[in-house]
Amino acid sequence: MSTGSHGSSSAPPALAIEGLTKTFVANRALDGVDLQILPGEVHALLGENGSGKSTLIKVLSGYHRPDPGGVVQIGGSDLDYGTPHASYLLGARFVHQDLGLVEDSSIADNLSFGPGFPTRFGTVNDRQARRRARTALDAMGLDLDPVLKVSKLSPAQKTGVAVARALLPDEAHPAKLLVLDEPTARLPDEEVEQLLGVVRTVSAAGIGILYVTHRLDEVFDIAELATVLRDGTRVVTAPIKGLTRQALLEHLFGDKVARAQRETETADTRVAPVLRLTDVSSEALRGLSLEVRPGEVVGVAGVTGSGREAVCATIFGARTRDGGTVELLGELVAGNRPDVSIARGVAYIPAERKLTGCFLDLPARENVSLTSMKDIWTFPFLRKRVEATMVRGWFERLDVRPVKSVDAPMAAFSGGNQQKIIYGKWFQREPVLFLLDEPTQGVDVGAKAELHSALFKAAEGGAAVLVSSTDVDELATISDRVIVLAGGRVVTTLVGADIDVHTITRAALGIDAHEGVS
Amino acid sequence: MRLFRGLGFDRLSGLYLWAALIAVFSVWQTQFRTLSTAHTIAGERSISAILGLAIIIPLACGAFDLSVGAIANFATINAVLLINNGHSWPVAALVAVLVSLGIGLVNGFFVVRLHVSSFITTLGIGSVITALQVIVTHNLQPVQPNNASWADFTNHTVFGFQIVFVYMLIVAVILWWVLQHTPVGRYLYAIGSSPDAARLSGVAVGRYTWLSLAASGTIAGIGGVMFGSLTGPSLTYGAGLLLPAFAAAFLGSTQIVPGRFNVWGTVMSIFVLATGVAGLQLAYPQAQWLDPMFSGSALVLAVAIAVGRQRAGEERARKRLVRKESVSGASVSHPAAPGDHERSAGAIAQPAQHSHIDDGTGVSL
Repeated sequence: MSTGSHGSSSAPPALAIEGLTKTFVANRALDGVDLQILPGEVHALLGENGSGKSTLIKVLSGYHRPDPGGVVQIGGSDLDYGTPHASYLLGARFVHQDLGLVEDSSIADNLSFGPGFPTRFGTVNDRQARRRARTALDAMGLDLDPVLKVSKLSPAQKTGVAVARALLPDEAHPAKLLVLDEPTARLPDEEVEQLLGVVRTVSAAGIGILYVTHRLDEVFDIAELATVLRDGTRVVTAPIKGLTRQALLEHLFGDKVARAQRETETADTRVAPVLRLTDVSSEALRGLSLEVRPGEVVGVAGVTGSGREAVCATIFGARTRDGGTVELLGELVAGNRPDVSIARGVAYIPAERKLTGCFLDLPARENVSLTSMKDIWTFPFLRKRVEATMVRGWFERLDVRPVKSVDAPMAAFSGGNQQKIIYGKWFQREPVLFLLDEPTQGVDVGAKAELHSALFKAAEGGAAVLVSSTDVDELATISDRVIVLAGGRVVTTLVGADIDVHTITRAALGIDAHEGVS
Repeated sequence: MRLFRGLGFDRLSGLYLWAALIAVFSVWQTQFRTLSTAHTIAGERSISAILGLAIIIPLACGAFDLSVGAIANFATINAVLLINNGHSWPVAALVAVLVSLGIGLVNGFFVVRLHVSSFITTLGIGSVITALQVIVTHNLQPVQPNNASWADFTNHTVFGFQIVFVYMLIVAVILWWVLQHTPVGRYLYAIGSSPDAARLSGVAVGRYTWLSLAASGTIAGIGGVMFGSLTGPSLTYGAGLLLPAFAAAFLGSTQIVPGRFNVWGTVMSIFVLATGVAGLQLAYPQAQWLDPMFSGSALVLAVAIAVGRQRAGEERARKRLVRKESVSGASVSHPAAPGDHERSAGAIAQPAQHSHIDDGTGVSL
C-alpha cells in the first residue's frame, strides 16, 4: 500500500513543523509539536477531540498564529502569518469535514466558483468550464460527468469533488500539501475505499498529505506514517507498518482505553416487546418486521440505501410511513406524528445533529427542557429555577463541561457536548423506547463510552433501544442483537458471539459468512 | 469591559440612547421639557406599540405578518361603520376584532395548509384587505361617531396619560407572560430557531404558526379599534404604521433579551424612536419626512446590529466556554481545545471563518 518513493532527498519536505506551540488564554493547545511530511507521503494525524488536531490545522491554514519560536514550513518556505492566503500561496490545500460544496449546482460550477468561470465577452463559456472540470476530475481518478448536480453524488464522490476543487491547477502556486480533515467521518464503510483511491492518486502526484481522522481502520490502509497527538503534545510518530491497532489505541488514550462493554444477553422472548413492527413499508423500507424487547439494545446495520438510515425516522414518524403497523407496548402508533410518538414515550435522536437534532441558537437549558415542559410548568409560570436545576443535573450526570454553562447557546458547545445535551433532553422524559440514528457521530471515543453507558443504564431500567449506525464498530460493541438490512428488509439477524465487525460488514455487503475474507 | 457589561450597554443601549435623547432635546427645545410631551408621545404612539407587539408573535416563530397595518385600518373602519349604523360601540369593537381574528386565521391557512411563505401570504392578504376596505367605504371616509363613551374609551386620562397607553401596557404584560413564562413561548421560539428540530421535539409546528398569525391579526384588530376611538376613522393610516412596527420589533430584538424578539425591547424601541422624532419635530416643525426617515433607518440599522452582534456573540460565548473549560481542565479528560469546533461550510483553502449559524435565525430579513 506504500507509495512513498517520491521523497527524494533533494526536494524540500511538503510540510516541516518544529517546536510548534500555540497557547490560548490559559490553555496550551499545542506544545512543542514536531511533524514532517515528505512529498508524496500520506501522514495520518490521530487524536481525540481536544488533542490539538484542529488547532494544528488552523495554524497551517494561517488562521491561528503560533507562539513565537516554532517553525512552520510549507514546501520549504516559512509560513508568513502577516500575509493573507500565505498558506495557499505556499501550496497548502485544505478539505474540511463540511465540504462546502453547493449541492444544487453542477460539479463544473462548483469547480468554477473559486477560480472564476471561463468567459467569452463576459458570458460564461460552459463548454470550457466543463472541459476544465473534466480534467480536474480525471486527475483525481474520478469518472464523473461535470454536468451532474453535486446533490446526486454519493458522499465519497462529493469528497472527491472537494479534493479536486482544492487541488485545481494553479501554475503560480502549485499544491504541495493536502490537508484532509476527517474525510471519511460521514462516509459509510463501503465508500471509504473509493475515497482512499482518490487519496492514493493525489499522493502519487507527489503531494504530501496530512490525513486527519478518528477512524483507525483506514489508517492502516492508506498511511505510511502516523502521528498521535494527546493533550497538545506529540505522543508518537511511527511508520504504520510497525504499529498495531492496540498500540495506536494506547497512544491515543493513554491508559484510559476502558470502553463501555456489556455482557450481551439474549432477551427473554416471553416478555412482551416494547416495539413491534409488522410489514412496515415506505420509500426506503419494503415490509420490515421487527421486535425489540425491554432492556434490549438492537443494532441496525446496512449499506447506504439499504433502508438502515430510514428505520428510526420512520418508526418515530419523522419520515412518511406508507404501510404496515408500529405497535408500542401492544398499542398501535400513528405514522408521521412525532408528537404522538413522544407522548407515548419514544425518544428519537436524528443523524443530523445541527439541522434537526437541536436548536443551535437557543440556550442549552431550553434545548433540554423543550420536551419536558410539564416538569417545569405550573400555572402561571415556568419554574426557571427548577429548570436550571434539572438541566444542571444532566450536565453533571453526562459530564457536559463546563457544568455551569447551562445558559450558553447550544452552538457554543463542542459536538460531543451537544450530543450529550441532546441525550439529557430525552433521558429527562424517561422514554420506554430509544430510536437513535448515528448516536455518537462526531463524538470522541471517551465521550462515546460515556454515552453508551448512559444508554445501558436506561436499558437496564427496562427501556428498549434501537440503534442505526454506519459505525459498525459501535454496533458490534453495544448491541445485544444486530439486524442487517438490504433492500429495505431484514436479511440477517446476528446474536451473541456472531456479532463482530467482520460478520456485520460482510452481511451488509451481501457476502456469505462462509466465504473467505475479501 | 466588565464595567461596560455591568452597566448593561449591550442589552440596554436603547435606554441610554433614550436618556441621551431626552437630555439633548430638553436643553435644546424648552417646549420639550414638559410632562405634556411625555403624555402626547405615550398616547399617540400606543397604537404603533400595539402593532409592534402584534408582529413579534409570528416573528418569534419565524413568520412575518405584513398585513397588520391593513388589518388595523380595516378594524377601525368596521368599528366606526357599525357604530354609525346604530350598534353600541362595545358590540362594534367586538365584531371588528373578530373580523381581524378571521383574517389572521385566513393568513394561517395559507401559510400552514397551503405552504405559502408568510411573507407572500400576508403581503397579498394585506392588499386584499385594503381593497375590501375600499369596497366597504366606497372610498369615503366615514364620520367619527358622535358618541362620548366611544371617545372616552381611549381618551380617558389617568395621571395625565390617555388610557390607551395603559391598554397597551396590559397587552404588553400579557404577551410578555405568554412569550417568556409559558410553554407556548418556548414552542414559538423553538419553531423560530428550527422548524424541523421543533417538529422532531413534538412541537405542533403548524398549529403554533397558525395560532401566532391569528394572534397577530387579533391584536392588530384591537389596536385598530383603539385607533378609531383615539383619532377617528382614517382610511390610510394603516400602511404608515407597518414600518414603525417592524422597526421597533427588530430594534427590540437587540435589547433586553438580545437575539430574541421580545416584548419590552419592542415597547422601549417604539418610544425611543418616538422621542427622537418628537424632539426633532419641535426643532423643525415643517419636516414631514422625519418619521419615515427615522423608522426606515432604524429598521435597517437594527437588523445590521442584530446580525453583527449575533455573530460576535456566538464567538464570544464559545471562547468563554473554552476558557472556563481550560480553567477547570485539570481533571478534564478531553477538554475541547480552543478552535476545536466544527468548521463552517465553505471554508476551503481559506482561513476558517467563524460563523456557526448563518443568519436566518430569526433576526434577519
